[in-house]
Amino acid sequence: MRSFEEYEVLDTDLFSAWDPDKFPILETKNLKKWFPVAEQSLLYSKTVNFIKAVDGVNLFLHKGETLGLVGESGCGKSTTSKTIIKLEEPTEGSVYFKGIDMFQPMTRVEELAIKRQIQMVFQDPYASLNPRRMVLDIIKEPFDIHFADMPYEEKEARVLEILSKVGLEDYHALRYPHEFSGGQRQRIGIARALAMNPEVILLDEPVSALDVSVQAQILNLLHDLQIDFKLTYMFIAHDLSVIKHVSDRVAVMYLGKIMEMAPTGELFRNTAHPYTIALLSAIPRPDPRIKMDRIILEGDPPSPINTPSGCPFHPRCWKAKEVCSQKQPPLEEIRPNHYVSCWFPEI
Amino acid sequence: MRKIEPILDVKNLYTRFYTESGVVEALDGVNFDVGYGEPVGIVGESGCGKTVTSHSVLRILPKNGRILQPPSEIYYKGVNLLDLTDEQMRHVRGKEAAMIFQDPMTSLNPIFKISDQMVEVIQLHRKVNKNEARDIAIEMMEAVGIPDSAERIDNYPHQFSGGMRQRILIARALALQPSLLIADEPTTALDVTIQAQVLEIIKEMQKQFGLALMLITHNLGVVAEITKRVHIFYGGRVVESGPTEEIFVNPFHPYTRALFDSIPSLEQDKTRLETIPGTVPQLINPPQGCRFHPRCKYATEICRMARPPDVWVTETRRVQCHHWEELDLTIDKEKVKEVRRSTVSVEGV
Repeated sequence: MRSFEEYEVLDTDLFSAWDPDKFPILETKNLKKWFPVAEQSLLYSKTVNFIKAVDGVNLFLHKGETLGLVGESGCGKSTTSKTIIKLEEPTEGSVYFKGIDMFQPMTRVEELAIKRQIQMVFQDPYASLNPRRMVLDIIKEPFDIHFADMPYEEKEARVLEILSKVGLEDYHALRYPHEFSGGQRQRIGIARALAMNPEVILLDEPVSALDVSVQAQILNLLHDLQIDFKLTYMFIAHDLSVIKHVSDRVAVMYLGKIMEMAPTGELFRNTAHPYTIALLSAIPRPDPRIKMDRIILEGDPPSPINTPSGCPFHPRCWKAKEVCSQKQPPLEEIRPNHYVSCWFPEI
Repeated sequence: MRKIEPILDVKNLYTRFYTESGVVEALDGVNFDVGYGEPVGIVGESGCGKTVTSHSVLRILPKNGRILQPPSEIYYKGVNLLDLTDEQMRHVRGKEAAMIFQDPMTSLNPIFKISDQMVEVIQLHRKVNKNEARDIAIEMMEAVGIPDSAERIDNYPHQFSGGMRQRILIARALALQPSLLIADEPTTALDVTIQAQVLEIIKEMQKQFGLALMLITHNLGVVAEITKRVHIFYGGRVVESGPTEEIFVNPFHPYTRALFDSIPSLEQDKTRLETIPGTVPQLINPPQGCRFHPRCKYATEICRMARPPDVWVTETRRVQCHHWEELDLTIDKEKVKEVRRSTVSVEGV
């Protein structure tokens, strides 16, 4: 029978080649996820097109930081995170965790070891918890999968310990999800993600279903947990003020591509990409004193099935020239750590 | 208090829902008004009674909902809507007070063309023939910025994006030339860049037609942008009312203050957010006395016992709190003026 500690030793061996100071803990290289669009007839079904949900994303996360991933609906934020935790197989490119290519063939032990270290918290705290299971069972399930031979008493003790970490009481363990409010449910979702003592947590819109007053509680909790457990976060949101509050670095996505990536202060002060500028100016500020010189974009984001040629933003961009519709601009470092994919960035 | 007669004056509105698990005290003595041509915001978190208020005003509550009468009174242009017959009420809805809903996906019937859905509504309330109604519809669609309206009017709802559908709903609501527009979370389902487009249209239409606007939202940014006056709802009651600029700069009620402190700001850097402990109250068994007292740091014995009265602190500002005198409620007139002048551009963020 193996104990929790023995498993940790196993993990350390597996990732011994990785040096946290030199390499990112998580990296995606040219990650693509295309969903086929099929034309159906009575006799055959053939793929006629692709929804390019994620189309060549290069992201990296350093240990202990928070990367904010922001973008409008349908830009591929969630697909990116689902591919990172192996819920989707990438069409092209790969994800590297501590230097290990996650989509290469590997043993079950190795696969579980990686999966333990990357966990996810979902957007909707009502849909992401099984209504027919007690909180104890929900949080215990990862232990049943990963540490099947751990004694029941130890599993239970760990569940209670985790519950107290996210601000819930022991007696909550024997209740069902419907007995909790939205904020408490999100705490349960966070507890489940913490159960395996992960290194990286992907947070997919963790507060957008919550009321403002409860949202603040969860944001503070996430902040405390990050310090206590030395966690690395990838925080997905569409609300730029939340992103600004939580992130060390921010990546802006549009139609499956990264438009701009920079440290938070730099991104908000020296915004370089026209899309980011428009996005920032579009947010209604909760302060009537601020009068914005607003840039209002024409039209809607194009569908990811028929993506525009060249830069995906060019049909809505006020700076677009001929080159923008012909060639996709590369993601270039215009200042230290400030990456922009644009032919004519603001400098 | 207010000299001009308001277009909508809601007094002591009590709305109850009778459910299997008990009586939901959804609205508990709500007082507020909307002036002629005035954009007013109704702000609050989920379950605070914002939407129930708008449904009560138009009398479109579900079967298990009741407006207690007396003491509830809803005066629209001086007439108590609660005294009208169903037939009379039908003339108020749409023609006098139009409403746009949160979800542009479900507010249009997917199996009818836009033209059918707009012409039907227009002919129901205005004495025009089919062609004239169609012309009015096209004209309104152009006004809200739908390109090629004359052709696109014959499209089906699924052929439009979310932002476009919300524009169509605005066009349909305004085609009847109402005096009051009730907008229930009109941009919540939309992306930020599309939200900016739709807000711009609502703002423009409000000015152009001199509409009284009742904007229901939880988004403080949207309220700051559009409204002149705001009513803050909490637990089925109005806890604070007043001019938007004053309330946002200088909130009085402990709830309003805590609410503003708990939102992350684009302008400032904070490592920790102020939080309001606990959650929004269940209205089946709401807290006794002041409904905010279990979460309020100023709460004392009286807050647990008695409902706080509405107090007019200044000519225009009303607050519902026992301790309003002890809180620092001075309005720094200079401060309000000073900041009104300053503008922040995109680059300054």
